[in-house]
Amino acid sequence: MPDVITVTGLRKRLPGRGGAVDAVRGVSLDVARGEIFGFLGPNGAGKTTTLRMLTTLLPIDGGQATVAGLDVRRQPGQVRRRIGYVSQLGGADDLATGRENLMLQGRLYGGSRAAVASRVASVLDVLGLSGFADRRVRTYSGGQRRRLDVALGIVHQPEVLFLDEPSTGLDPQNRAHLWQHIQALREQGTTVFLTTHYLDEADVLCDRIVIIDHGTVVAGGTPRELKQQVAGDAIVVVLRDADAARQAAAALRGQPEVRDVSAEHAVVRLYASDGAAALPGLLRLLDAGGLAVRSLGLSEPSLDDVFLRQTGRSLRDTGQPAQPGQPAAAGPARAVA
Amino acid sequence: MKPVTDAALLFRRYLTQLLRNPVFLVVGFATPILYLALFTPLLRHLAGAPGLPSGNVLDLFLPGILALLAYATGAGPGFSTVFDLRAGVIERLRVTPASRFAILAGPVLASMLLMFVFDLVLVLAGWGFGFGVHVPGLALLGLLLALMMATTAAFSITVALLSGEINGVAAVINGLNLPVLLLGGVLLPIALGPAWLRVAAHFDPLYYTVAAARVLAAGTLTGPAVWQAFAVLVPLCAAVLGWATTVVRRAVA
Repeated sequence: MPDVITVTGLRKRLPGRGGAVDAVRGVSLDVARGEIFGFLGPNGAGKTTTLRMLTTLLPIDGGQATVAGLDVRRQPGQVRRRIGYVSQLGGADDLATGRENLMLQGRLYGGSRAAVASRVASVLDVLGLSGFADRRVRTYSGGQRRRLDVALGIVHQPEVLFLDEPSTGLDPQNRAHLWQHIQALREQGTTVFLTTHYLDEADVLCDRIVIIDHGTVVAGGTPRELKQQVAGDAIVVVLRDADAARQAAAALRGQPEVRDVSAEHAVVRLYASDGAAALPGLLRLLDAGGLAVRSLGLSEPSLDDVFLRQTGRSLRDTGQPAQPGQPAAAGPARAVA
Repeated sequence: MKPVTDAALLFRRYLTQLLRNPVFLVVGFATPILYLALFTPLLRHLAGAPGLPSGNVLDLFLPGILALLAYATGAGPGFSTVFDLRAGVIERLRVTPASRFAILAGPVLASMLLMFVFDLVLVLAGWGFGFGVHVPGLALLGLLLALMMATTAAFSITVALLSGEINGVAAVINGLNLPVLLLGGVLLPIALGPAWLRVAAHFDPLYYTVAAARVLAAGTLTGPAVWQAFAVLVPLCAAVLGWATTVVRRAVA
Protein backbone atom coordinates (compact mmCIF):
# COMPACT_ATOMS: atom_id res chain seq x y z
CA MET A 1 0.00 0.00 0.00
CA PRO A 2 1.52 3.35 -0.98
CA ASP A 3 1.68 6.03 1.68
CA VAL A 4 -0.95 8.68 1.19
CA ILE A 5 0.63 11.06 3.69
CA THR A 6 4.35 11.41 4.29
CA VAL A 7 5.71 13.89 6.78
CA THR A 8 9.39 14.44 7.47
CA GLY A 9 10.86 16.74 10.09
CA LEU A 10 7.83 19.01 10.19
CA ARG A 11 8.33 22.17 12.25
CA LYS A 12 6.21 25.09 13.34
CA ARG A 13 6.97 28.04 15.52
CA LEU A 14 3.91 29.90 16.78
CA PRO A 15 3.73 33.29 18.45
CA GLY A 16 2.66 32.80 22.04
CA ARG A 17 1.95 34.89 25.09
CA GLY A 18 5.45 34.63 26.51
CA GLY A 19 7.32 34.75 23.18
CA ALA A 20 7.39 32.31 20.27
CA VAL A 21 6.75 28.65 21.03
CA ASP A 22 8.05 25.67 19.06
CA ALA A 23 4.67 23.99 18.73
CA VAL A 24 5.84 21.25 16.36
CA ARG A 25 9.48 20.15 16.57
CA GLY A 26 10.43 17.74 13.84
CA VAL A 27 7.41 15.47 13.45
CA SER A 28 7.80 12.60 10.97
CA LEU A 29 5.12 10.06 10.09
CA ASP A 30 3.64 8.04 7.24
CA VAL A 31 0.03 7.16 6.70
CA ALA A 32 -0.88 4.26 4.39
CA ARG A 33 -3.80 4.45 2.00
CA GLY A 34 -7.06 3.29 3.49
CA GLU A 35 -6.10 3.22 7.14
CA ILE A 36 -7.43 5.08 10.13
CA PHE A 37 -4.43 6.85 11.53
CA GLY A 38 -4.54 8.28 15.04
CA PHE A 39 -2.55 11.21 16.28
CA LEU A 40 -2.71 10.84 20.05
CA GLY A 41 -1.47 13.27 22.64
CA PRO A 42 -2.51 15.56 25.47
CA ASN A 43 -3.96 19.01 24.85
CA GLY A 44 -1.30 21.39 23.62
CA ALA A 45 0.98 18.64 22.30
CA GLY A 46 0.96 20.03 18.76
CA LYS A 47 -1.72 17.81 17.24
CA THR A 48 -3.94 20.53 15.86
CA THR A 49 -0.97 22.61 14.67
CA THR A 50 0.33 19.63 12.68
CA LEU A 51 -3.11 18.97 11.26
CA ARG A 52 -3.52 22.59 10.22
CA MET A 53 -0.20 22.50 8.40
CA LEU A 54 -1.19 19.32 6.54
CA THR A 55 -4.53 20.85 5.55
CA THR A 56 -2.88 24.00 4.07
CA LEU A 57 -4.28 26.26 6.79
CA LEU A 58 -0.96 27.11 8.37
CA PRO A 59 2.33 27.74 6.57
CA ILE A 60 4.99 25.09 7.18
CA ASP A 61 8.14 26.47 8.82
CA GLY A 62 10.40 23.50 8.18
CA GLY A 63 10.36 19.94 6.89
CA GLN A 64 8.46 18.17 4.15
CA ALA A 65 4.85 17.10 3.86
CA THR A 66 3.04 15.38 1.03
CA VAL A 67 -0.64 14.56 1.01
CA ALA A 68 -2.11 12.37 -1.74
CA GLY A 69 1.25 12.53 -3.50
CA LEU A 70 1.27 16.34 -3.59
CA ASP A 71 3.67 18.70 -1.86
CA VAL A 72 1.63 20.65 0.68
CA ARG A 73 3.91 23.68 0.46
CA ARG A 74 4.10 23.89 -3.34
CA GLN A 75 0.66 22.65 -4.38
CA PRO A 76 -1.76 23.72 -1.66
CA GLY A 77 -4.57 24.23 -4.18
CA GLN A 78 -4.23 20.67 -5.50
CA VAL A 79 -4.07 19.29 -1.96
CA ARG A 80 -7.31 21.07 -1.04
CA ARG A 81 -9.18 19.30 -3.84
CA ARG A 82 -8.24 15.91 -2.43
CA ILE A 83 -8.77 16.36 1.27
CA GLY A 84 -11.63 16.91 3.66
CA TYR A 85 -11.16 18.60 7.00
CA VAL A 86 -13.40 18.65 10.05
CA SER A 87 -12.07 21.08 12.61
CA GLN A 88 -12.86 21.01 16.31
CA LEU A 89 -15.25 23.88 15.73
CA GLY A 90 -17.03 22.10 12.90
CA GLY A 91 -17.75 25.10 10.76
CA ALA A 92 -21.38 24.57 9.82
CA ASP A 93 -23.47 27.65 9.24
CA ASP A 94 -25.96 28.02 12.10
CA LEU A 95 -28.54 30.01 10.20
CA ALA A 96 -28.58 27.67 7.21
CA THR A 97 -30.10 24.20 7.04
CA GLY A 98 -28.01 21.07 6.95
CA ARG A 99 -28.79 20.57 3.28
CA GLU A 100 -27.93 24.18 2.40
CA ASN A 101 -24.60 23.83 4.18
CA LEU A 102 -23.80 20.67 2.25
CA MET A 103 -24.95 22.07 -1.09
CA LEU A 104 -22.68 25.09 -0.72
CA GLN A 105 -19.75 22.94 0.35
CA GLY A 106 -20.23 20.51 -2.53
CA ARG A 107 -20.57 23.26 -5.12
CA LEU A 108 -17.42 25.01 -3.93
CA TYR A 109 -15.62 21.86 -5.08
CA GLY A 110 -17.02 22.52 -8.52
CA GLY A 111 -19.81 19.98 -8.97
CA SER A 112 -22.95 20.82 -10.91
CA ARG A 113 -26.09 21.54 -8.94
CA ALA A 114 -27.71 18.23 -9.87
CA ALA A 115 -24.61 16.14 -9.17
CA VAL A 116 -24.06 17.82 -5.81
CA ALA A 117 -27.74 17.49 -4.85
CA SER A 118 -27.73 13.74 -5.36
CA ARG A 119 -24.41 13.36 -3.53
CA VAL A 120 -25.75 15.48 -0.65
CA ALA A 121 -28.85 13.31 -0.42
CA SER A 122 -26.73 10.18 -0.15
CA VAL A 123 -24.37 11.70 2.45
CA LEU A 124 -27.35 12.84 4.51
CA ASP A 125 -28.73 9.34 4.31
CA VAL A 126 -25.47 7.61 5.23
CA LEU A 127 -24.94 9.81 8.28
CA GLY A 128 -28.54 9.54 9.41
CA LEU A 129 -29.29 13.22 8.89
CA SER A 130 -32.09 12.99 6.32
CA GLY A 131 -34.82 13.46 8.92
CA PHE A 132 -33.77 17.01 9.72
CA ALA A 133 -31.78 18.00 6.63
CA ASP A 134 -34.08 20.96 6.05
CA ARG A 135 -34.03 22.26 9.59
CA ARG A 136 -31.64 25.04 10.53
CA VAL A 137 -28.40 23.82 12.07
CA ARG A 138 -29.07 25.97 15.12
CA THR A 139 -31.72 23.45 16.19
CA TYR A 140 -29.42 20.40 15.92
CA SER A 141 -28.28 18.38 18.94
CA GLY A 142 -24.56 17.94 19.61
CA GLY A 143 -24.44 14.53 17.97
CA GLN A 144 -26.44 15.64 14.92
CA ARG A 145 -24.21 18.67 14.48
CA ARG A 146 -21.07 16.56 14.67
CA ARG A 147 -22.40 14.20 12.04
CA LEU A 148 -23.16 17.20 9.83
CA ASP A 149 -19.57 18.40 10.34
CA VAL A 150 -18.34 15.01 9.14
CA ALA A 151 -20.78 15.18 6.22
CA LEU A 152 -19.27 18.56 5.25
CA GLY A 153 -15.87 16.90 5.27
CA ILE A 154 -16.84 14.05 2.95
CA VAL A 155 -19.44 15.57 0.60
CA HIS A 156 -16.81 15.89 -2.16
CA GLN A 157 -15.50 12.33 -1.63
CA PRO A 158 -11.97 13.23 -0.54
CA GLU A 159 -9.08 10.78 -0.66
CA VAL A 160 -8.04 11.77 2.85
CA LEU A 161 -10.28 12.97 5.64
CA PHE A 162 -8.72 14.91 8.51
CA LEU A 163 -10.70 14.90 11.75
CA ASP A 164 -9.61 17.09 14.63
CA GLU A 165 -10.84 15.69 17.96
CA PRO A 166 -14.00 14.29 16.35
CA SER A 167 -15.73 12.99 19.45
CA THR A 168 -14.98 15.75 21.92
CA GLY A 169 -18.14 16.77 23.74
CA LEU A 170 -20.20 13.79 22.57
CA ASP A 171 -21.98 11.42 24.93
CA PRO A 172 -20.95 7.73 24.82
CA GLN A 173 -23.81 6.70 22.55
CA ASN A 174 -23.06 9.42 20.00
CA ARG A 175 -19.35 8.63 20.15
CA ALA A 176 -19.99 4.98 19.36
CA HIS A 177 -22.29 6.05 16.53
CA LEU A 178 -19.62 8.38 15.13
CA TRP A 179 -16.97 5.68 15.35
CA GLN A 180 -19.14 3.41 13.23
CA HIS A 181 -19.38 6.10 10.58
CA ILE A 182 -15.61 6.61 10.60
CA GLN A 183 -15.05 2.87 10.25
CA ALA A 184 -17.53 2.81 7.38
CA LEU A 185 -15.47 5.50 5.62
CA ARG A 186 -12.39 3.32 5.81
CA GLU A 187 -14.32 0.46 4.29
CA GLN A 188 -15.11 2.71 1.33
CA GLY A 189 -11.40 3.37 0.88
CA THR A 190 -11.07 6.79 2.49
CA THR A 191 -7.92 7.35 4.48
CA VAL A 192 -8.76 8.91 7.84
CA PHE A 193 -6.28 10.95 9.84
CA LEU A 194 -7.65 11.88 13.24
CA THR A 195 -6.33 13.57 16.34
CA THR A 196 -7.56 12.59 19.74
CA HIS A 197 -6.67 12.78 23.38
CA TYR A 198 -8.97 9.87 24.17
CA LEU A 199 -7.16 6.59 24.71
CA ASP A 200 -10.15 4.42 24.02
CA GLU A 201 -10.82 6.25 20.77
CA ALA A 202 -7.30 5.65 19.50
CA ASP A 203 -7.44 2.06 20.70
CA VAL A 204 -10.81 1.10 19.24
CA LEU A 205 -10.74 3.09 16.04
CA CYS A 206 -7.20 3.39 14.77
CA ASP A 207 -5.18 0.95 12.70
CA ARG A 208 -2.02 2.78 13.60
CA ILE A 209 -1.21 5.61 15.94
CA VAL A 210 1.54 8.03 16.69
CA ILE A 211 1.86 9.49 20.17
CA ILE A 212 2.94 13.12 20.26
CA ASP A 213 4.04 15.18 23.24
CA HIS A 214 5.60 18.65 23.34
CA GLY A 215 5.71 18.78 19.56
CA THR A 216 7.64 15.56 19.00
CA VAL A 217 6.65 12.00 18.25
CA VAL A 218 7.37 9.81 21.28
CA ALA A 219 6.06 6.47 19.97
CA GLY A 220 4.33 4.96 16.98
CA GLY A 221 2.85 1.70 15.73
CA THR A 222 -0.37 -0.27 15.92
CA PRO A 223 -2.13 0.08 19.29
CA ARG A 224 -1.23 -3.57 19.96
CA GLU A 225 2.46 -3.13 19.13
CA LEU A 226 2.69 -0.05 21.27
CA LYS A 227 1.14 -1.75 24.24
CA GLN A 228 3.36 -4.80 23.86
CA GLN A 229 6.44 -2.67 23.65
CA VAL A 230 5.67 -1.18 27.04
CA ALA A 231 5.39 -3.52 29.92
CA GLY A 232 3.53 -6.48 28.60
CA ASP A 233 0.43 -7.52 30.47
CA ALA A 234 -0.24 -6.44 34.01
CA ILE A 235 -0.74 -9.32 36.49
CA VAL A 236 -2.27 -8.82 39.91
CA VAL A 237 -2.03 -11.63 42.52
CA VAL A 238 -3.91 -11.36 45.82
CA LEU A 239 -2.53 -13.48 48.69
CA ARG A 240 -3.53 -14.21 52.29
CA ASP A 241 -1.73 -11.29 53.93
CA ALA A 242 1.07 -8.76 53.55
CA ASP A 243 3.65 -11.25 54.78
CA ALA A 244 2.68 -13.81 52.16
CA ALA A 245 2.71 -11.06 49.53
CA ARG A 246 6.28 -10.13 50.43
CA GLN A 247 7.39 -13.75 50.14
CA ALA A 248 5.56 -14.18 46.85
CA ALA A 249 7.15 -11.01 45.45
CA ALA A 250 10.61 -12.22 46.42
CA ALA A 251 10.00 -15.57 44.70
CA LEU A 252 8.54 -13.98 41.56
CA ARG A 253 11.36 -11.46 41.15
CA GLY A 254 13.68 -14.28 40.24
CA GLN A 255 11.64 -15.25 37.19
CA PRO A 256 13.06 -14.15 33.83
CA GLU A 257 9.71 -13.44 32.16
CA VAL A 258 8.44 -10.92 34.72
CA ARG A 259 9.30 -7.28 35.35
CA ASP A 260 8.55 -4.51 37.82
CA VAL A 261 7.31 -6.72 40.68
CA SER A 262 5.88 -4.78 43.60
CA ALA A 263 4.05 -5.82 46.78
CA GLU A 264 1.58 -3.73 48.68
CA HIS A 265 -0.57 -5.11 51.51
CA ALA A 266 -1.69 -8.53 50.32
CA VAL A 267 -1.35 -7.65 46.64
CA VAL A 268 1.53 -8.35 44.29
CA ARG A 269 1.69 -6.54 40.94
CA LEU A 270 3.97 -7.44 38.09
CA TYR A 271 4.27 -7.24 34.32
CA ALA A 272 4.97 -10.03 31.87
CA SER A 273 5.37 -9.65 28.10
CA ASP A 274 2.86 -12.43 27.54
CA GLY A 275 0.80 -12.61 30.69
CA ALA A 276 -1.47 -15.47 29.69
CA ALA A 277 1.53 -17.72 28.87
CA ALA A 278 3.39 -16.79 32.04
CA LEU A 279 0.51 -17.42 34.44
CA PRO A 280 0.64 -21.25 34.80
CA GLY A 281 4.37 -21.18 35.60
CA LEU A 282 3.94 -18.41 38.14
CA LEU A 283 1.08 -20.25 39.82
CA ARG A 284 3.13 -23.45 40.06
CA LEU A 285 5.97 -21.45 41.61
CA LEU A 286 3.73 -19.95 44.28
CA ASP A 287 2.12 -23.32 44.93
CA ALA A 288 5.53 -24.91 45.46
CA GLY A 289 6.36 -22.20 47.99
CA GLY A 290 3.16 -22.96 49.92
CA LEU A 291 1.63 -19.58 49.15
CA ALA A 292 -2.12 -19.78 48.66
CA VAL A 293 -3.45 -17.53 45.92
CA ARG A 294 -6.79 -15.92 46.74
CA SER A 295 -7.42 -14.34 43.38
CA LEU A 296 -5.61 -13.54 40.22
CA GLY A 297 -6.10 -10.85 37.58
CA LEU A 298 -4.63 -10.26 34.17
CA SER A 299 -5.12 -7.07 32.22
CA GLU A 300 -3.71 -5.69 29.01
CA PRO A 301 -1.68 -2.52 29.32
CA SER A 302 -3.38 0.58 28.00
CA LEU A 303 -2.08 3.27 25.69
CA ASP A 304 -1.81 5.36 28.82
CA ASP A 305 0.87 2.96 30.05
CA VAL A 306 2.69 3.65 26.78
CA PHE A 307 2.44 7.36 27.24
CA LEU A 308 3.45 7.11 30.88
CA ARG A 309 6.48 5.07 29.98
CA GLN A 310 7.58 7.52 27.26
CA THR A 311 6.93 10.81 29.00
CA GLY A 312 6.69 10.06 32.73
CA ARG A 313 3.22 11.60 32.69
CA SER A 314 -0.25 10.20 32.36
CA LEU A 315 -2.35 11.15 29.37
CA ARG A 316 -5.45 11.07 31.50
CA ASP A 317 -4.46 13.92 33.76
CA THR A 318 -2.96 15.99 30.98
CA GLY A 319 0.11 17.91 31.98
CA GLN A 320 0.29 16.42 35.47
CA PRO A 321 3.02 14.03 36.55
CA ALA A 322 1.74 10.52 37.20
CA GLN A 323 1.09 9.72 40.84
CA PRO A 324 3.69 7.27 42.11
CA GLY A 325 2.16 4.09 43.44
CA GLN A 326 -1.07 4.67 41.53
CA PRO A 327 -1.34 2.16 38.74
CA ALA A 328 -1.73 3.53 35.28
CA ALA A 329 -5.26 3.23 34.02
CA ALA A 330 -5.71 -0.35 32.94
CA GLY A 331 -7.17 -1.46 29.66
CA PRO A 332 -10.06 -3.87 29.42
CA ALA A 333 -9.56 -6.25 32.33
CA ARG A 334 -9.87 -9.99 31.89
CA ALA A 335 -10.62 -11.89 35.03
CA VAL A 336 -8.70 -15.13 35.09
CA ALA A 337 -9.46 -16.65 38.45
CA MET B 1 -14.88 31.00 -14.18
CA LYS B 2 -14.17 29.57 -10.77
CA PRO B 3 -13.80 32.90 -8.87
CA VAL B 4 -17.10 34.15 -10.31
CA THR B 5 -19.14 31.01 -9.53
CA ASP B 6 -17.57 30.79 -6.08
CA ALA B 7 -18.33 34.45 -5.40
CA ALA B 8 -21.92 33.87 -6.54
CA LEU B 9 -22.28 30.88 -4.21
CA LEU B 10 -20.85 32.75 -1.25
CA PHE B 11 -22.87 35.85 -2.13
CA ARG B 12 -26.01 33.77 -1.86
CA ARG B 13 -24.94 32.24 1.41
CA TYR B 14 -24.26 35.63 2.97
CA LEU B 15 -27.40 37.25 1.62
CA THR B 16 -29.55 34.39 2.93
CA GLN B 17 -27.93 34.83 6.30
CA LEU B 18 -28.62 38.56 6.35
CA LEU B 19 -32.23 38.06 5.35
CA ARG B 20 -32.69 35.48 8.11
CA ASN B 21 -31.55 38.00 10.67
CA PRO B 22 -34.62 40.18 11.36
CA VAL B 23 -32.80 42.45 13.81
CA PHE B 24 -30.29 43.35 11.14
CA LEU B 25 -33.00 44.17 8.63
CA VAL B 26 -35.01 46.34 11.03
CA VAL B 27 -31.95 48.26 12.20
CA GLY B 28 -30.62 48.50 8.66
CA PHE B 29 -33.81 50.12 7.37
CA ALA B 30 -34.48 52.20 10.47
CA THR B 31 -31.06 53.83 10.79
CA PRO B 32 -31.06 55.94 7.60
CA ILE B 33 -34.69 56.85 8.12
CA LEU B 34 -33.90 57.95 11.66
CA TYR B 35 -31.01 60.07 10.45
CA LEU B 36 -33.33 61.83 8.05
CA ALA B 37 -36.18 62.19 10.51
CA LEU B 38 -34.03 63.46 13.37
CA PHE B 39 -31.50 65.66 11.58
CA THR B 40 -33.57 67.29 8.88
CA PRO B 41 -35.67 69.44 11.26
CA LEU B 42 -32.45 70.56 12.94
CA LEU B 43 -30.79 71.50 9.68
CA ARG B 44 -33.83 73.24 8.27
CA HIS B 45 -32.96 76.37 10.26
CA LEU B 46 -29.39 76.32 9.04
CA ALA B 47 -30.17 76.64 5.35
CA GLY B 48 -28.40 79.71 4.00
CA ALA B 49 -26.20 80.02 7.11
CA PRO B 50 -22.44 80.51 6.53
CA GLY B 51 -20.94 77.50 4.77
CA LEU B 52 -24.31 76.07 3.86
CA PRO B 53 -26.14 76.62 0.61
CA SER B 54 -29.70 77.78 0.62
CA GLY B 55 -32.50 75.66 -0.74
CA ASN B 56 -33.80 72.29 0.39
CA VAL B 57 -31.59 70.95 3.22
CA LEU B 58 -32.13 67.45 1.92
CA ASP B 59 -30.13 68.28 -1.19
CA LEU B 60 -27.17 68.91 1.10
CA PHE B 61 -27.87 66.35 3.74
CA LEU B 62 -29.18 63.27 1.95
CA PRO B 63 -26.08 62.68 -0.22
CA GLY B 64 -24.02 62.79 2.98
CA ILE B 65 -26.27 60.18 4.55
CA LEU B 66 -25.85 57.97 1.48
CA ALA B 67 -22.07 58.23 1.85
CA LEU B 68 -22.37 57.52 5.57
CA LEU B 69 -24.48 54.48 4.81
CA ALA B 70 -21.81 53.20 2.44
CA TYR B 71 -19.24 53.49 5.19
CA ALA B 72 -21.51 51.99 7.87
CA THR B 73 -22.68 49.00 5.76
CA GLY B 74 -19.03 48.19 5.19
CA ALA B 75 -18.54 47.50 8.89
CA GLY B 76 -21.14 44.70 8.87
CA PRO B 77 -19.11 42.03 7.07
CA GLY B 78 -16.29 42.61 9.57
CA PHE B 79 -18.52 41.67 12.46
CA SER B 80 -20.02 38.65 10.75
CA THR B 81 -16.52 37.52 9.78
CA VAL B 82 -15.66 37.31 13.47
CA PHE B 83 -18.70 35.08 14.05
CA ASP B 84 -17.75 32.93 11.07
CA LEU B 85 -14.21 32.70 12.34
CA ARG B 86 -15.41 31.64 15.79
CA ALA B 87 -17.76 29.05 14.34
CA GLY B 88 -15.00 27.62 12.14
CA VAL B 89 -16.79 28.64 8.93
CA ILE B 90 -13.82 30.64 7.59
CA GLU B 91 -11.46 27.75 8.25
CA ARG B 92 -13.84 25.34 6.58
CA LEU B 93 -14.00 27.56 3.50
CA ARG B 94 -10.24 27.98 3.41
CA VAL B 95 -9.73 24.22 3.19
CA THR B 96 -12.00 24.05 0.12
CA PRO B 97 -10.57 25.04 -3.27
CA ALA B 98 -12.91 28.07 -3.20
CA SER B 99 -11.30 31.14 -4.72
CA ARG B 100 -9.73 33.23 -1.94
CA PHE B 101 -11.02 36.37 -3.61
CA ALA B 102 -14.54 34.92 -3.64
CA ILE B 103 -14.40 34.23 0.11
CA LEU B 104 -13.99 37.98 0.44
CA ALA B 105 -16.19 39.12 -2.43
CA GLY B 106 -19.27 37.08 -1.45
CA PRO B 107 -20.03 38.98 1.76
CA VAL B 108 -18.94 42.32 0.30
CA LEU B 109 -21.30 42.03 -2.68
CA ALA B 110 -24.20 40.77 -0.59
CA SER B 111 -23.89 43.72 1.80
CA MET B 112 -23.60 46.00 -1.20
CA LEU B 113 -26.90 44.79 -2.60
CA LEU B 114 -28.59 45.54 0.70
CA MET B 115 -26.91 48.94 0.82
CA PHE B 116 -28.46 49.79 -2.54
CA VAL B 117 -31.87 48.72 -1.27
CA PHE B 118 -31.46 51.01 1.75
CA ASP B 119 -30.22 53.78 -0.55
CA LEU B 120 -33.27 53.41 -2.74
CA VAL B 121 -35.60 53.63 0.25
CA LEU B 122 -33.78 56.72 1.42
CA VAL B 123 -33.86 58.45 -1.95
CA LEU B 124 -37.56 57.70 -2.43
CA ALA B 125 -38.37 58.94 1.06
CA GLY B 126 -36.25 62.07 0.50
CA TRP B 127 -37.97 62.65 -2.82
CA GLY B 128 -41.25 62.83 -0.97
CA PHE B 129 -39.80 65.62 1.18
CA GLY B 130 -38.42 67.72 -1.64
CA PHE B 131 -35.07 66.10 -2.44
CA GLY B 132 -34.28 66.73 -6.09
CA VAL B 133 -33.73 63.39 -7.89
CA HIS B 134 -31.29 63.43 -10.82
CA VAL B 135 -31.07 59.90 -12.15
CA PRO B 136 -27.74 60.02 -14.09
CA GLY B 137 -26.01 61.72 -11.18
CA LEU B 138 -27.40 59.19 -8.72
CA ALA B 139 -26.33 56.32 -10.97
CA LEU B 140 -22.74 57.54 -11.02
CA LEU B 141 -23.00 58.18 -7.28
CA GLY B 142 -24.05 54.53 -6.89
CA LEU B 143 -20.74 53.48 -8.40
CA LEU B 144 -18.85 55.73 -6.04
CA LEU B 145 -20.81 54.40 -3.04
CA ALA B 146 -20.06 50.86 -4.15
CA LEU B 147 -16.34 51.66 -4.13
CA MET B 148 -16.54 53.30 -0.71
CA MET B 149 -18.53 50.40 0.70
CA ALA B 150 -16.24 47.74 -0.78
CA THR B 151 -13.21 49.54 0.65
CA THR B 152 -14.68 49.70 4.16
CA ALA B 153 -15.98 46.14 3.97
CA ALA B 154 -12.65 44.68 2.82
CA PHE B 155 -10.96 46.67 5.55
CA SER B 156 -13.35 45.50 8.27
CA ILE B 157 -13.09 41.86 7.13
CA THR B 158 -9.31 42.06 7.21
CA VAL B 159 -9.31 43.58 10.68
CA ALA B 160 -11.65 40.78 11.75
CA LEU B 161 -9.39 38.08 10.30
CA LEU B 162 -6.32 39.57 11.90
CA SER B 163 -7.76 40.25 15.35
CA GLY B 164 -10.13 37.28 15.48
CA GLU B 165 -12.37 38.82 18.10
CA ILE B 166 -15.38 41.09 18.30
CA ASN B 167 -13.61 43.49 20.64
CA GLY B 168 -10.78 44.03 18.19
CA VAL B 169 -13.12 44.80 15.31
CA ALA B 170 -15.37 46.97 17.46
CA ALA B 171 -12.41 48.96 18.78
CA VAL B 172 -11.06 49.70 15.31
CA ILE B 173 -14.44 50.44 13.72
CA ASN B 174 -15.73 52.57 16.60
CA GLY B 175 -12.40 54.30 16.98
CA LEU B 176 -12.46 55.32 13.33
CA ASN B 177 -16.15 56.26 13.31
CA LEU B 178 -15.92 59.70 14.85
CA PRO B 179 -12.90 61.06 12.95
CA VAL B 180 -14.09 59.57 9.66
CA LEU B 181 -17.62 60.95 10.04
CA LEU B 182 -16.54 64.35 11.33
CA LEU B 183 -13.79 64.88 8.79
CA GLY B 184 -16.01 63.49 6.06
CA GLY B 185 -18.34 66.41 6.60
CA VAL B 186 -21.41 64.20 6.66
CA LEU B 187 -23.29 66.07 9.34
CA LEU B 188 -21.63 69.48 9.28
CA PRO B 189 -19.67 70.93 6.35
CA ILE B 190 -15.97 70.78 7.01
CA ALA B 191 -15.68 74.23 5.43
CA LEU B 192 -16.87 75.59 8.78
CA GLY B 193 -13.75 74.27 10.48
CA PRO B 194 -10.29 75.80 10.91
CA ALA B 195 -7.56 75.28 8.33
CA TRP B 196 -5.91 72.29 10.03
CA LEU B 197 -9.23 70.45 10.13
CA ARG B 198 -9.77 71.12 6.44
CA VAL B 199 -6.29 69.75 5.73
CA ALA B 200 -6.90 66.67 7.89
CA ALA B 201 -10.14 66.02 6.00
CA HIS B 202 -8.14 65.36 2.86
CA PHE B 203 -6.85 62.15 4.47
CA ASP B 204 -10.37 60.86 4.93
CA PRO B 205 -11.76 58.93 1.93
CA LEU B 206 -15.27 59.66 3.15
CA TYR B 207 -14.58 63.37 2.69
CA TYR B 208 -14.14 62.90 -1.06
CA THR B 209 -17.17 60.64 -1.25
CA VAL B 210 -19.39 63.14 0.54
CA ALA B 211 -18.16 66.07 -1.55
CA ALA B 212 -18.71 64.15 -4.79
CA ALA B 213 -22.05 62.82 -3.57
CA ARG B 214 -23.37 66.37 -3.16
CA VAL B 215 -22.25 67.39 -6.64
CA LEU B 216 -23.56 64.23 -8.26
CA ALA B 217 -26.89 64.34 -6.45
CA ALA B 218 -27.34 67.87 -7.75
CA GLY B 219 -27.09 66.43 -11.26
CA THR B 220 -23.56 67.57 -12.18
CA LEU B 221 -21.62 64.64 -13.60
CA THR B 222 -18.26 66.33 -14.00
CA GLY B 223 -16.22 68.66 -11.88
CA PRO B 224 -13.21 68.42 -9.59
CA ALA B 225 -15.07 66.87 -6.65
CA VAL B 226 -16.25 63.97 -8.83
CA TRP B 227 -12.98 63.03 -10.48
CA GLN B 228 -11.06 63.56 -7.26
CA ALA B 229 -13.34 61.12 -5.47
CA PHE B 230 -12.81 58.45 -8.14
CA ALA B 231 -9.08 59.19 -8.25
CA VAL B 232 -8.87 58.54 -4.50
CA LEU B 233 -11.29 55.63 -4.19
CA VAL B 234 -10.39 53.46 -7.17
CA PRO B 235 -6.75 52.90 -6.13
CA LEU B 236 -7.68 52.79 -2.44
CA CYS B 237 -10.32 50.14 -3.00
CA ALA B 238 -7.93 48.09 -5.14
CA ALA B 239 -5.19 48.35 -2.51
CA VAL B 240 -7.46 47.33 0.37
CA LEU B 241 -8.96 44.43 -1.60
CA GLY B 242 -5.46 43.25 -2.50
CA TRP B 243 -4.38 43.39 1.13
CA ALA B 244 -7.54 41.60 2.25
CA THR B 245 -7.07 38.80 -0.31
CA THR B 246 -3.50 38.30 0.88
CA VAL B 247 -4.70 37.98 4.45
CA VAL B 248 -7.40 35.44 3.50
CA ARG B 249 -4.83 33.48 1.51
CA ARG B 250 -2.32 33.44 4.32
CA ALA B 251 -2.85 31.75 7.63
CA VAL B 252 -5.19 33.39 10.06
CA ALA B 253 -5.38 32.71 13.78
